[in-house]
Amino acid sequence: MSLYVYGVTRGSVPPPTGLRGVGAPAAQVRTLAADDLAVAVSAAPARLRAYRRDLQAHQDVLTALARSGPVLPMRFGVVTDGEEPVLARLTAGRADYLAALDRIEGHVEMNVKAHAVEDGLADIVRQDPRVRSLRQEARRRPGYAANIRLGEAVAAAVGRRAAQAGVEVLTALTGLATETVRGTEPAGCALNASFLVAEGDVARFHAAVAALAVLHTGQVTLQVTGPLPCYSFAVAPAPAAA
Amino acid sequence: MTVITDGVVCAPRAGTLYDVLDLILDRGIVIDAFVRVSLVGIEILKIDARIVVASVDTYLRFAEVCNRLDLEHDATSRTVPELFGGAGAGAGAAKSAGKAGAKKAVRSVGEKVKDAVPGHHEDGDDDSDNGGDIGEEEPAPRRRTGEGSRPRSRRRSEED
Repeated sequence: MSLYVYGVTRGSVPPPTGLRGVGAPAAQVRTLAADDLAVAVSAAPARLRAYRRDLQAHQDVLTALARSGPVLPMRFGVVTDGEEPVLARLTAGRADYLAALDRIEGHVEMNVKAHAVEDGLADIVRQDPRVRSLRQEARRRPGYAANIRLGEAVAAAVGRRAAQAGVEVLTALTGLATETVRGTEPAGCALNASFLVAEGDVARFHAAVAALAVLHTGQVTLQVTGPLPCYSFAVAPAPAAA
Repeated sequence: MTVITDGVVCAPRAGTLYDVLDLILDRGIVIDAFVRVSLVGIEILKIDARIVVASVDTYLRFAEVCNRLDLEHDATSRTVPELFGGAGAGAGAAKSAGKAGAKKAVRSVGEKVKDAVPGHHEDGDDDSDNGGDIGEEEPAPRRRTGEGSRPRSRRRSEED
């Protein structure tokens, strides 16, 4: 039977009771133990896709597991053919999994995204010589091409200001984290970073983000999510030579 | 999981799942020997986000807003709405155009996925049975319409 895999925990963690996983109806989550490691699994739905419901279930199961000890989250959608391959993998990678669990012990992931804001257009026109001259040009000789040039320069200025704020936010928050990982940033997103933060420092981290949000009001909005399972700090052990 | 959003400086969010969708889908452990669900649709959304934001539409909108700025008579104004406040004739239209457009360029991938998932616009849809099959969505045509690209609750309040 196909098994959906949620994450790896220490074997000493009591198996979850009553946890509902992916699928409709939701499958019962159970753990498979191998020595001092355990892995949370459930029956895999016959047709697994990135359903909103299943994404939420994946997230909820990992969040619940993280309450009783460190958990190495699997990426969404990992399915294996029966129990044996999972247990074999756990045994083969035991030392690496234990090291990875030690790394995140007592920590949570905090994700911060900074999005560019356009509230400062008047400031940009005042302060950016290129935008100012292109604006004068567009007013003197209105036209499609002139407007495109002006708009492009404004968009670039908005992006520059946001990127600069993003760098400052990243620098400030890195000081509060044990580790930092930067993710992909689509256009309009000036920063997407995850921070490995000690559980005791979460309140301090939130306060720091709030202060930075005020400081950079004209350039970016900040969005902090967490505490989260340590998605970004769960390192897959190298495949054992077997 | 908790999300702290400061009412003044942080954009309000309907849910938290989509704010961390990139983590759930792109981080965490993958074991080569195991099967992983296909997420083709997600990649499409990411690429699409780049195309839309750096568009001619965005440039023209910026240009329009800038051309309307009255820097000499409103030197202290900081925001687009304020700048349009005393503009006289045509201010109403300019205001809605400026504001409607103002948020478009700052969408995250998360928001785009959120928009592409059926039924996500309203609260309380968490347990809808099909929940939105991201993998099978074809979001590109919807993206192009622009109107469908923003959270509806936000749009509604802005147009009031």
